[in-house]
Amino acid sequence: MLEPGGDLDELRQGVRDWCASHVPKKWRDEQRGVSHSDLVEFMRWWGTQLREAGLLAPHWPKEWGGGFSIPEQIVIAEELARGDVPRNGLYHVGVFNVAPTLLHSATDAQRRRFLPGIRDGEVWCQGFSEPNAGSDLASLQTRALRDGDRYVVNGQKVWTSWAREADWCMLLARTDPDASKHKGISCLIVDMHTPGIDVRPIQQAWGPSDFNEVFFDDVEVPVDNLVGAENSGWAVAQGTLSAERAIAILEATERLRCHGVEAAVADAVAWRLESGQPALDDSAIREFLAEFYAEVHVLRHMLNEMIEGIIRDVDVGGTSSIIKVFYSELLLKLMQHVTALQGVAGQLDGPVLACSGWETGFWMNDYIHAFGWMIGGGTNEIQRNVIAERMLGLPR
Amino acid sequence: MRLSAEERDELRATARSLLGRENARATDLWDEMVELGWTTIHVPERYGGAGAGYADVAVVLHELGRTVTPSPFMSAVLAGGALSLADNEDVAGLAGASPGTVALASTTGAYDLSRLTTTWQSTGSSVRLAGESGFVLDADLADILVVAARDDDGTVVALAVDASAPGVRVEHAPTVDQTRRLFTVVFNNVTVPADRLLCEPGTRAEELLERVLAIGVIAASCDAVGVAERAMEGAAQYAKDRTQFGKPIGSFQAVKHHCANMAIAVEASRAATHAAAESLDGDPAAWPAGAAITSSYVGPACSHACALALLVHGGIGFTWEHDSHLFLKRAKLDEVLFGTPSWHRRRLADAAFPGLVAERN
Repeated sequence: MLEPGGDLDELRQGVRDWCASHVPKKWRDEQRGVSHSDLVEFMRWWGTQLREAGLLAPHWPKEWGGGFSIPEQIVIAEELARGDVPRNGLYHVGVFNVAPTLLHSATDAQRRRFLPGIRDGEVWCQGFSEPNAGSDLASLQTRALRDGDRYVVNGQKVWTSWAREADWCMLLARTDPDASKHKGISCLIVDMHTPGIDVRPIQQAWGPSDFNEVFFDDVEVPVDNLVGAENSGWAVAQGTLSAERAIAILEATERLRCHGVEAAVADAVAWRLESGQPALDDSAIREFLAEFYAEVHVLRHMLNEMIEGIIRDVDVGGTSSIIKVFYSELLLKLMQHVTALQGVAGQLDGPVLACSGWETGFWMNDYIHAFGWMIGGGTNEIQRNVIAERMLGLPR
Repeated sequence: MRLSAEERDELRATARSLLGRENARATDLWDEMVELGWTTIHVPERYGGAGAGYADVAVVLHELGRTVTPSPFMSAVLAGGALSLADNEDVAGLAGASPGTVALASTTGAYDLSRLTTTWQSTGSSVRLAGESGFVLDADLADILVVAARDDDGTVVALAVDASAPGVRVEHAPTVDQTRRLFTVVFNNVTVPADRLLCEPGTRAEELLERVLAIGVIAASCDAVGVAERAMEGAAQYAKDRTQFGKPIGSFQAVKHHCANMAIAVEASRAATHAAAESLDGDPAAWPAGAAITSSYVGPACSHACALALLVHGGIGFTWEHDSHLFLKRAKLDEVLFGTPSWHRRRLADAAFPGLVAERN
């Protein structure tokens, strides 16, 4: 078990040693092309490994089993990325999205009730988007009608990752249909084992099916499961932009550097031009790879500044949108160039690796997968509106 | 001692008010900047400077960029920085003294040391310089020129040359960016005492000149970020004020996204340049890679932001009367002033890729 509060270099070495002894040597090969149920089983196993090492939720407060400082969290993120560990997809929503929201907006009783479960391996999903409420999330129509000490939920959610595996859902539903659209929404915690919930998988463009549609048909939710005040769900869900989200992107950035850009450089020795020359000998190819190498460093500098801003309690809302756009477009651009470089040989199909980062070495599949980052978490088009409105004060 | 965050904010505020004055005469401004000690902020105290850091000089460079001020400040900073790096203490001692500039490029604008068009020859106790250096900033105002030259065997030297030495001639090379002054410096068999060598000829001189070039790239980036930031602010304000179809044009998503793209470019460039300027206060061995990363991203991103700012202004942005072209032209010059992004990327690839390949294959 790694402990907070020690020397940073020792922590770095500790995480590095842990990766060396706990990450199965051939996990990338073994996990390529596995069934959905085998994928989930592997992720549960991996989550247990992280939990036992104290690495599942290092950013949580000490009383809840975390307590690592921000510099320590950065070291952990860097070393997990460098160690090319499997990605903690299954528990990400609970650990990185739900827990910070609960810590910020929930009652003590709710925290005591739900946080230990997240830590101990319960899976959470997030019921936000709907078929008619994507970018315009506040127009969501799922209803939660108060009936005594419970709400009755009816409606449909979509793009819900890991809903089939989820024990709980953090749901946004309309509790006041007469209020203006942002003001009539509440945040509810729904037990996914409640009768009336129907979950149907959606296969994504890159192959896997961790997405789902979730249908709610007269689903009863105790009023105790309301997070924050009734009709304040929009603010609850926006939460505060806390450092752990920046650190989650920092980990993704380090993966992009090590296993994306640097791997492409190493791979480009083996790729051949029409002339038979190694692609890495070609000056145009060297130039664009160096450009991406530079950009991933620029991104890291931006992240460092944002994290410093969060520590100093500066508003970094606009910066976080910039970082999301910059990261996703760099990721996609790399995949775009590498697939173009590979030529028709890069078009051969193969088994997909679903529990890694976005850099699996199956570049064509990674290219398709990368679109998820352009769209998810607020499309880049919406992010650009946010940047222009929040940072530059342009009218809506 | 590096400035504290508060001192740096104060420096920024002073610079902003000084440079924001209407109708200030360039010579008065320069005198004030020298008086305030800004030109030698980064020069060690033992050489007559303030002994603060490049990250502090960066604040002034940024403000000069914001106001597109014509000023020999950047060349003075580079000369002071170059001289401070000298192994020869007598030459280093000149770092805090007179205004100077650096002559690092060939007459075709190449910064590769193998392409230098200024040559040197040893005559025992002195060095004789011939040929020309191209694209030298503010050479007409400099008392000292830090000159890169090579001999017939390709051995490189770095020399501190008195601008008043017989045989030195400067010729103005007017640029599209009228806020900057570039010169060709002609050396007509100029005799320079050998004790004006910054360091040993050869690999040490190459290393030193690479570091000076890195300072140049990063200084130009500081300027570019200031330029782009101010261009962005002006364009965002215009997008709020200008109405068409009965609405502010900033409410149209096409315009809004131009503005967002400026903000992305400026924010990323600012973070990158800040990190690069900070790195100049650390291990010099890391400077060239940091400079290459900066050149690769910041130059193109800042000129792109200025291009978008011009577009957001529409017809008025295309006039001589409006400032948009001043920002765009200055950012375009900054982008290539110390070597093209493309060249820096290739050098970055040469420096970084072999290690990556060896580590992974």
